[in-house]
Amino acid sequence: MTAKIAVAGLEKHFGPKVVLDGIDLEVAAGESMVIIGGSGTGKSVMIKCILGLIRPDAGSIRVDGQEVTGLRGAALADYQARFGMLFQGGALFDSLPVWRNVSFALGGSAASRRAAAIDNLARVGMGADVADLRPSELSGGMQKRVALARAIAARPEILFFDEPTTGLDPIMADVINDLIRTLVTDLKITALTITHDMASARKIADRVAMLYQGRIVWHGSRDVLDVSGNAFVDQFVHGRAEGPIQMQLRKL
Amino acid sequence: MNPVTTLAHALIALGSVVIGLFGAIGRLARFALTVLTRLVRPPWYPAQLFEQMLVIGYFSLPVVGLTALFTGSALAQQIYIGGSLFNAASTVPAVTVIGIVRELGPVLGGLMVAGRVASAMAAEIGTMRVTEQIDALTTLRTDPYRYLVGPRIVAAVLVMPLLVLVSNALGVMGGWLLATQRLGFNSAAYLNTTAQYLKWDDVSSSMVKAAVFGFFIALMGCYHGYHSSGGAAGVGRATTNAVVSAFILILLSNLIITVIVFAA
Repeated sequence: MTAKIAVAGLEKHFGPKVVLDGIDLEVAAGESMVIIGGSGTGKSVMIKCILGLIRPDAGSIRVDGQEVTGLRGAALADYQARFGMLFQGGALFDSLPVWRNVSFALGGSAASRRAAAIDNLARVGMGADVADLRPSELSGGMQKRVALARAIAARPEILFFDEPTTGLDPIMADVINDLIRTLVTDLKITALTITHDMASARKIADRVAMLYQGRIVWHGSRDVLDVSGNAFVDQFVHGRAEGPIQMQLRKL
Repeated sequence: MNPVTTLAHALIALGSVVIGLFGAIGRLARFALTVLTRLVRPPWYPAQLFEQMLVIGYFSLPVVGLTALFTGSALAQQIYIGGSLFNAASTVPAVTVIGIVRELGPVLGGLMVAGRVASAMAAEIGTMRVTEQIDALTTLRTDPYRYLVGPRIVAAVLVMPLLVLVSNALGVMGGWLLATQRLGFNSAAYLNTTAQYLKWDDVSSSMVKAAVFGFFIALMGCYHGYHSSGGAAGVGRATTNAVVSAFILILLSNLIITVIVFAA
């Protein structure tokens, strides 16, 4: 069976700085893959490469067996339409009310788009009363949920989550994690999440991969995360300062 | 330091500035071409276009109008003083209308709109860039060039000529007000002379200038906003760069059009 997303030898550098140094990764259809890794390890760049927002320097990205790195123009737009993405800060359009944010990618009459927006808001546990509010009137957790409703509104085949729980309190973070898990299962969506929140990774993931210095250093099932036998994963999962991952700090 | 090394350093510095300049022009040209080629084909966003026409055109009316009115008055006063030296104070209406319609109306109107609009565009689009809203547009089946940039540029090109017509009219009116109220000109004679020296060619060149200025204002606002990075400070830089570069392009293109139209 071909993987839904297959990344091979993906490289990207910005000037002299190598961000992705040969990424190999496969995600099966309907699977929830979580990429863990510290800040600045290239997680966001990798997702943006797959989404076609950033052009990689080398390597291949195949979705349903089809090479997508060379896509341009209308073909690229059609490809991008298959994805939904939850951005780290929500990235809601602050000039538009909530319902128009949620229904942004949908066609049809205003009434039908509004109904669809309220439908999707309900899926993330929000009532119709928020539909006419502006994003700036919402708390951080509510913004994330609206952004989630917007990401699923067009029923994408693949959903990306960029640090879905960053900046939320632990309870709201768990609400978001539950929502993501439920949505992925119910809508049968292939999901790729990047996070450094281990609680989130354990809840969302079927499989976990660890990114370090632009490479995947480990991948495996969520269940073996604690017994991976990989020193990088061990250090990250347990949040230790000592280990093979050295923070670039100046000595005191 | 030996003179050869000094010279070499100077040449290297000069060379990198020139390369940087050409690089910037290239990126800008590519941005402009991308927008123009995308605008040829749908989807179009008429609601966005209408909103931008309102923001750029209608809401700029007060500031553009006041600028023209005050400048027209001041211009008439100075022409009167200068003209008196040669016994030619009667040239006030003719020189005022020529000065306003050919140069000051479009240039000052362009500069005021650039200050108002290029900055606002750069700040808005720049904030959308750094908060990933532009990336979000792409993932929501919407081309940011068509949705954000295109309507702003088309709106600016369409409304700037109308704004400059208003600017010209109010500039001439400012001169007329001052001349009739303070300098003792006869109102009917003043307007008569104004009409006599108001040439269609001047008005049309004025509107061509306005359209060109509108293009540069929106292009600079969008370009700098679109390529901003680095949080609030980056958006601040983008806003400043948008206004400064729009000012320079307005003044430079004005000079070029003036030389082509009037000195040929």
